Amino acid sequence: MHSNNYTLAFVFIITVVLGTILSFTKENLRELQEYNLKADMKKNILRSLDFEESENELWSNEVVEKIFNENVQAFCVDTSGNVVDCIIEEVDTERNLEVLPVYLKVIDNKTEGIAIPIAGKGLWSTVFGYIALESDTDTVLGIQFYKHGETPGLGGEVDKAWFTNNFIGKKIRDNSGDVIGVEVLKGKVDNSKASAIHQVDGISGATVTSKGVTVFLKDDLGRYENYLNKVRADGNI
Amino acid sequence: MEIFNSESKKIISDPLSINNPISLQVLGICSALAVTIRLDQAIIMTIAVIFVLCSSNVILSALRNFIPNRVRIVVMLSIIASLVTVVDQVLQAYLYDMSKQLSVFVGLIITNCIIMGRAEAFALKHGPSKAFLDGLGNGLGYGMIIIIVSLFRELFGAGTITLPDGGVGYVLFSIPEAWYAAGYENIGLLVLSPGAFFILGLVIWTQRELFGIEEGE
Repeated sequence: MHSNNYTLAFVFIITVVLGTILSFTKENLRELQEYNLKADMKKNILRSLDFEESENELWSNEVVEKIFNENVQAFCVDTSGNVVDCIIEEVDTERNLEVLPVYLKVIDNKTEGIAIPIAGKGLWSTVFGYIALESDTDTVLGIQFYKHGETPGLGGEVDKAWFTNNFIGKKIRDNSGDVIGVEVLKGKVDNSKASAIHQVDGISGATVTSKGVTVFLKDDLGRYENYLNKVRADGNI
Repeated sequence: MEIFNSESKKIISDPLSINNPISLQVLGICSALAVTIRLDQAIIMTIAVIFVLCSSNVILSALRNFIPNRVRIVVMLSIIASLVTVVDQVLQAYLYDMSKQLSVFVGLIITNCIIMGRAEAFALKHGPSKAFLDGLGNGLGYGMIIIIVSLFRELFGAGTITLPDGGVGYVLFSIPEAWYAAGYENIGLLVLSPGAFFILGLVIWTQRELFGIEEGE
């Protein structure tokens, strides 16, 4: 049996040694990890803006960085649509509802798409993603979900191509021009109805996740309404 | 150094056959169900577990005469947890896509019963070189089972076989489109956790039959 003092001293030494090793590891890897996170964010913005990864140029972090820098302009607006200063990578898109990040796809000085971050509750978790609109601020160019904790095979299907591809070409404004978002139905879209242009097929077995997506799409797009209206009125950015 | 005498061989080969941690002792089931959806995940997970298991066994075995008995569980846990955290951080830095797919299950290596079990049952009673072999054997035993399970789940559930590379994985084989056109369908159930239960059950049955192991007395 060891004495109490020995036990205390032993535990103390172990703690100090392990603590040192852990903080040393973290400090050395921090830069790489943050770089990965940023590259991943950019990758998702690019995907929503309809950039495609090609067989002969796979999206390594460097390639993503290059495509992003060459074709995308990033800035923030406020809820009334004015451009404001921000550090775009540090904006918390789930909680900060005043400063709104915008990513423009600009090719040959022509705006081809507007990507905005979306986030909201699914069933188990917050679902994060980007939705991109064409320059008419009405038609959906693409949508991507990159982080969620929904049930694999059910709500987890939100990030699958069969689901996200259905959004492409849908309209987010109603006839009077108000932003209403895109509704994820329970079941299939009836293409004979006029409302079909604002609806996509739901995920079977994932009613709550589908409803969540409908709600936060409407809310998030609603916050950008003033900015989107400005873009529409000006005809340019 | 008689590292490959018959006793050492037994330490390494038992966990692969008659004393497999998953199929015979039924330990580490949680992660065996979770990370066996795709082969590349199972391979990376195996490497991570082997690393943690060998290192924790060696460190604990080297310290075994110094660790006060009363606090040994706490010491074991903190050493294992630190090793797992290091693995998690390294994956996030160098294999980002993989670490996203494995998500919490890397962190959950801490609670994998195999690791605590081997530390308590073996490492604290034997020297470092034997403890290393024991870690390697049990890690390989664990890996063998989850790789077999994931091979079946990915091939029949998703129709592909994926090997790990730096990014989202290298697709080694996928079922040709012509098969799907001819009416072949993937078994969706295998992608879900219950599918893993079925496969694991079959693997356990096969292995027990092969080695003639019976429950009881």
